[in-house]
Amino acid sequence: MDYISVTKTNRLFWLGRYYERVSLTLRFIMERYDEMIDSDSFDYHKYCYDLGIPDIYSSPEDFFQRYIFDPADDFSIRKSADTMLGNGMVLRETIGSPTLSYLQMAVYALEELATKNIPVGLGLQNVIDNIMAFRGSYDDFIDDDNIRNTIKCGASVERLSFCLRVGYMEECASLELFKLLKRMQRCQLQTNALSMQALVRQSRASEGSAENTSLDKAEFTQAVENLFIV
Amino acid sequence: MEDLLIHKDEINMQMARYGVKFGLYKNGKFKERLFPYDPIPRVISGVDFQKLEKGLAQRVDALNCFLADIYSDKKIIKDGVIPSEFVYRSPGYLPQCEGITPPKSIYSHISGIDLVLGKDGCWYILEDNLRVPSGASYPLIARALSRRCSPDTFRNNDVVDNRSYGEMLRAVMDNVNTGGINVIFTPGRYNAAYFEHSYLAEQTESVLAESGDLFVENDCLFYRGNHGTVRVGAVYRRISDEYLDPLCFYPESLIGIPNLMEAYRAGNVAIINAPGNGVADDKGIYYFVPKMIKYYLDQEPILMNAPTFLPFFEEDMKYTLDNFDRLVIKDVAEAGGYGVVFGSQLAPEQKQDLIAKIKSEPRRFISQEIIDFQDLPIIEGSGTVMRKADLRAFVLSGSTTKVWPSGLTRFSRNPNSFVVNSSQGGGFKDTWITSL
Repeated sequence: MDYISVTKTNRLFWLGRYYERVSLTLRFIMERYDEMIDSDSFDYHKYCYDLGIPDIYSSPEDFFQRYIFDPADDFSIRKSADTMLGNGMVLRETIGSPTLSYLQMAVYALEELATKNIPVGLGLQNVIDNIMAFRGSYDDFIDDDNIRNTIKCGASVERLSFCLRVGYMEECASLELFKLLKRMQRCQLQTNALSMQALVRQSRASEGSAENTSLDKAEFTQAVENLFIV
Repeated sequence: MEDLLIHKDEINMQMARYGVKFGLYKNGKFKERLFPYDPIPRVISGVDFQKLEKGLAQRVDALNCFLADIYSDKKIIKDGVIPSEFVYRSPGYLPQCEGITPPKSIYSHISGIDLVLGKDGCWYILEDNLRVPSGASYPLIARALSRRCSPDTFRNNDVVDNRSYGEMLRAVMDNVNTGGINVIFTPGRYNAAYFEHSYLAEQTESVLAESGDLFVENDCLFYRGNHGTVRVGAVYRRISDEYLDPLCFYPESLIGIPNLMEAYRAGNVAIINAPGNGVADDKGIYYFVPKMIKYYLDQEPILMNAPTFLPFFEEDMKYTLDNFDRLVIKDVAEAGGYGVVFGSQLAPEQKQDLIAKIKSEPRRFISQEIIDFQDLPIIEGSGTVMRKADLRAFVLSGSTTKVWPSGLTRFSRNPNSFVVNSSQGGGFKDTWITSL
C-alpha cells in the first residue's frame, strides 16, 4: 500500500487538473488555430471572458503566440504545463519515473516548438501525444485505486469546468459527470456536501428523472469547482 | 567504449527526459539545471577496487567508533589522541546529541568519501561527508540509461552492475528501523538535490515526506496519511542537523519536525545519518582520521589522507607559513568547494590578509599539499580534453559495512580548476568497476 498524505492527495488532484488543462486547452486551441487559417471566426476576447482570464492580448496572432508559449503569462498553456510538471516532480516516487518522464517530454515539446520552425499543429500534437502517454502510463502502472482515481477526479473536474465555461464538447458533460461521481467513490478526496447533492441531482436529471431539475450552466460549473475540498 | 560515445546524444536526451537535474540559487532565485554528464566513464579495476573497498570500510568503521566515543565516553580525547578544541569547537559537534545511542550504534549509515587518484597511482582521501552526502542517484540513473542506449558497451565490457544501490540503501534503513515505515525526509521541491530525494524514495520504495507530513506524539514519529497515521521506524533525512527539530536546534526552522530529537533520544526512530555527525567530517578532524583507525581498530590505515597540516600546532603553522605558495588553504567552516584557496593564486594583499586570519584563528584553517591528481578525458565539442576529476565513493553501514561498486566521478569543466563541485559548474561521469 502506498502511504498518501493530505499534501500528496492535493498534489495528485492538481496534477490531474493541470494535465487535463494543458491537453484539453491545446485540443481546443488547435481547432481554433485551424479555423483561423482561412477565417477570423475565433473571438479570443470572448474566450478570455468565458474562462475568466485577463484579456491582455493585442491581436489574434499575439493571443496564439503568448497564450500558448509565454511562460511569463500566468494563464498561458506553457505556464500550466510547467505547473503540471511541477506537480508531477513532487510525486515521482508515487507515479514512477517512467510515467513522470512523459510530462517532462510534453514540456520539452512545447519549449522546442517555441524556438524551432515546426508547424504549430504538428508540434502541439506532439505535446498532446506525450500527455496521452502519461495518462496511459499512470492508468496502467499505478496499482493503488485511490491514487489513480484522485488524479482522474482532478482531470474530470478540469474537463467539466473548461467545457462548461467555454461551451466546448458540452454534449460530453453528462458522461463526464457520471464518470466523476463513480471515481470519487474510489478515492479519499474530501467532498463538499452541497456541491455533491447538486451534482447528483444534475446527474439524475440528465438520465431523465422527472423529480430532478437540471442545474443551469453557472450552477453546474460552481458545483463542479467546489466539489472537492483541496 | 566507442559505442557509448556514438550514443552520447541519445544518453543525454534520456537524462533530460528523466529530469536528471540539480538546483541552485543564483541571485536569490532558484534555478534547475541538467547535471552535465560525460559518457566516458572512470574505470577502476576490480583489483584496485578491492583495496579501495577495504580502505573505505576501515575508515568509515573508525569514524563510526569515533562518533560513538565522542557522544559518550570521549576516550580519544582523554587519551590525548585528539585535542578537545578540535571536537568542542567544531560547528558539527552538537551537545544536544550527548548520551544518545542510535539504533545498532550506527551513526554514519551513508558516508560519501571524496578521493582523488594521484599521478603516483595512489588514491588519497580528500574529505569525508557523513552528514547528508548526495550524488549516488546520478551514476545510478546514468548507468540504467546508458545500458538502454548502448547495450553493446555493457555486453562487451565486464562492468560490475551498480543498480543495486536502492536495495543496499533499503537494507541499511531496514537494519536500524525501530518498527514502522521507512521515510525519506526532504525539505521540499526547491532543494538542490530534490531529484535525488524523489528518485531514491522510488528506488527504495520509501515514502517521501515533507515536514507537514510528519509529527511526533508520545515520543514516536508518525506519518500523517489519508488512511490514518502510521508509525515511522527510520527516517533518512535530507536536511541539515540545525533544521531538523526547531525545539532542539534552530527555533526558526519551518522545515523541521518538532520533538523529533525526543523520539530519537527515546530510541523510537532511527535517524539516517545521525545528527551530530558533522563533528567527524570537520576538515580539522580529517587530519586525525588515520590516528582514529589506529586507536579504535588497531590497524594501519589502508588509504592515505592528502598531506595535511594544522596551523593549530606550532610546527604546522611554521610549515604552512614557510610553504604558503605551494599549499592549498581550506577554511574548515566552508563546504561545497567554497573557502578553498591556493596560496600561489593570491595577490600579495590577499595573502597577507589570509595569513593574519590563520594566525588569529588557527583552528579555523588547514593547509594541504596540492595533490597532482590524474586528469580524466571528457568530451568537448567533437574531441576530448583532459580535466581534473575526483571520486565520491558511497559506503553503506548496515549489518556490515559495504562499498557501493560504483561512485560519483565529478569533473571540472574549467581547464585551470581543481574544483569539481556541481554548484560551481562541474559535471559528472559514471564510475565503472570491472570484474577483473
